[in-house]
Amino acid sequence: MFSIKLGLKNLTRQKRRNFITILVIAFAFFIYLFIGSMMEGMEEMSFNNIKNYDTGSIQVAHPEYWEDKDKLPLENLIYLNQDVEESIKNIDGVLGVSPELRFKANLNNGIDEVAVQGMGISIEQYNEVFATQNHVVEGSMFVPGESKAVIGVSLAELMDLKVNDYITLLVRTKEDTFNTIDLEIAGLLYTPNPMINNGIVFVPLDIARQALNVENGISMMVVKTNKEKEINQTISNVNQIFQEKNLNIHAYSWKESAKTVIAIRAAEDAETAVILIIILTIGMIGIINNVILSSLERTREIGMMKALGMREWEIVLVFMVEATGLGILGGLTGCLLGAAGVWWIVKYGYDLGYIGGDMSMYGIPIIDKLYGVWNFSSFIFVFFFGIIVALLSSIGPAYWAAHKDPVKAIYHR
Amino acid sequence: MALLELNKVKKIYQQGKIEVPALRGIDLMVEPGEFTTIFGPSGSGKTTLLNMIGCLDTPTEGEIKLNGDRVSDLSRTKLAMVRRYNIGFIFQAYNLIPVLTAYENVEFAIRLIHHLKEEEMKEKALNILEAVGLKGLETRRPNELSGGEKQRVAVARALVKEPKIVLADEPTANLDSKTGADVIKIMVKMNQKLGTTFIFSTHDPQIMKYAKRLINLRDGMISGDERR
Repeated sequence: MFSIKLGLKNLTRQKRRNFITILVIAFAFFIYLFIGSMMEGMEEMSFNNIKNYDTGSIQVAHPEYWEDKDKLPLENLIYLNQDVEESIKNIDGVLGVSPELRFKANLNNGIDEVAVQGMGISIEQYNEVFATQNHVVEGSMFVPGESKAVIGVSLAELMDLKVNDYITLLVRTKEDTFNTIDLEIAGLLYTPNPMINNGIVFVPLDIARQALNVENGISMMVVKTNKEKEINQTISNVNQIFQEKNLNIHAYSWKESAKTVIAIRAAEDAETAVILIIILTIGMIGIINNVILSSLERTREIGMMKALGMREWEIVLVFMVEATGLGILGGLTGCLLGAAGVWWIVKYGYDLGYIGGDMSMYGIPIIDKLYGVWNFSSFIFVFFFGIIVALLSSIGPAYWAAHKDPVKAIYHR
Repeated sequence: MALLELNKVKKIYQQGKIEVPALRGIDLMVEPGEFTTIFGPSGSGKTTLLNMIGCLDTPTEGEIKLNGDRVSDLSRTKLAMVRRYNIGFIFQAYNLIPVLTAYENVEFAIRLIHHLKEEEMKEKALNILEAVGLKGLETRRPNELSGGEKQRVAVARALVKEPKIVLADEPTANLDSKTGADVIKIMVKMNQKLGTTFIFSTHDPQIMKYAKRLINLRDGMISGDERR
C-alpha cells in the first residue's frame, strides 16, 4: 500500500515533465477519438445516403442483370405483375416498393451533350421509398402523365439548364436502335448524395419504357423496410415469393450495392488500427521516457529504498503506479478533449468545402459537410487501453531502475 | 554470542584488468549495544566495510555473520529481507524522499516491517520524531527542514523499525560541527535508551570522542581497535 501511496505522491514531482507527458498522451487520444468519430460519421452518412437516395433497403433484380448492373443493360429486365408487388408490400416491415428502369443516355441541351444515367420512376411509388423529393431546390418533382424530368443542380449547372428548359435524352432501345426523349425540366435537386446530383436524370417510368421499347420491364424493384436489423429475414421472405411463383428473380441487400463504401470502411479500419499503433507508440515512448528520467534522477533514492529493505517488485510497483497515474490523467484529459472535439464535429460538422465540397470523387457519397457521431465505447476503450499501455510500458524501465546495484545507487553522483 | 562477526573478509573490485583490493582480510566482532566508530583516511575501506556489514554488498572472500546467521552469501532478495528487519541506515546526504513529510519518511520505514494498527504506527513514528527533537516539524517536507533536522529525520527513520544495528556512513559530513555534534548526541542518547548498536564512519575527531569503540582502518585492514 505504501508503494502505491508513494507512487501517487511521486506524480507531484517534475510537474512540468509530467504535464507534457500527460498532454502528449491526451493529444494522441484526442486524435484517435476525433478521427474515429469522423470515420464513423462518414460511414453512417454514406450508408444513409446510399439507402435513402439510391438503393433503398433491398433491390430486386434478375441475377444476370445484377451481375452487369453497372453497365445499365436492357437485357434481363424483370416483369412483375401487380400480384407480386402486393405480396412484397404485405411482408412485415416493408414500407414501400418502387420500380426503376435504369438506362444509359446522352443529355443534349441543344448545344452540348453529356453522358448520364436515365432513371425511369413511378413518382408516387418512388416517393414512398426515397427522400429525394425533400431536396427539390427549384421547381418540383413531376407528376404522373407529365413529360417532364428532374435533374441535379450540378448537372444543371454543367449543362447550363434551369427549370422549364427543354432537354433531349438520346437513348438506344432494347433492339439497339436510336431514340430520343424530349422532356421539360420540372425541378432541380440538391440531395446529400452527390452521385444523384451529378449524373442522373429522373423521367416518368411509362415514358422511359416506351422510348426504350421494353414494354412493362424494369431494371429492378427497390424495397424500403423499417426493420433494418432483420433485413436478411425480409430478403428471405421476398425470395420466398419469387420461388413460389417460379420467377428467376432475386433480392439483394443494399450492402451489395455499397461494396465500394464498405471496402473504403475496411481501409478506414486499417487506418484506425495504424492510428492506434501510433498512439500506443507515442504513449509508450512518453511513459518509458518519464520512468527512465525519473529513475535516473532518483537513483540515490532507489538506493536508499533498497538499503531499507524494499524488494525489487515493491520498487517496480512505485514506478508502475506513477506511470499508471500518468496514463489515467492523460486518458482523462484526452477523453475530455476528445469529447469537446467530437461534440463540435457532431454539432457543426467539417466543411468539405475545404477539400472541394464533394467526396463522390473518392467513391464516398457525401457532400457539403461531414458530421461525426458519438461512440462512447471508443472513449471507454481508449481510456482503459491507455491505462494498460502505461502500465505495461512502465514495467521494463521500472524493473531496470529497481534492479540497480544498491551500493552504486546510494553513492550515485 | 556476538551480534556481528566478520571473519577474514576481503573485497576486491575489478577495474578492467586490474584488481583493486578494498578490504584485505577483516576480522571483527561487535557486541550488542556497542557505539562504534570506524575511522581512517579516504580510500581506507570504511564505506566498503559498512556496505559489507549492511548487507548491501557481498565479500569476495570470508564470511559475515549477523546474530549468528551467515549472511555473506545470501541472494539479493534474502539480503533485502535481512536489511529490512535488522539494519537501519543513515546516509551522509540524508536520502529522504522529497515528496513525503518528515512523519511520512519515518512511517515509510515502519510500514516495511510492522503490520501494526494505523494508530499504533502513528504513535510509534511520532514518539521517535519527538525523541530526536522534531516535535512540531512532522508535517514539513525535507525542503522545509535544515540539514541537521533532515539528518534527525534520517536517524528517526533508521531507528523506528527497532533494528539490531544502525549503520551511518559519515552522518555529519554535510553538517556544521555544532549540528553534527547534536546529531551524534542524539545517536548516543538513542543508543543508551534503546540499546541499539551503532556503527558509523567519520573523519571528524570532534565526533569520534563520543564513540565507545574506535576502529582504525588503513589500506583495507584494521590497524587499531580501541575500547573506551
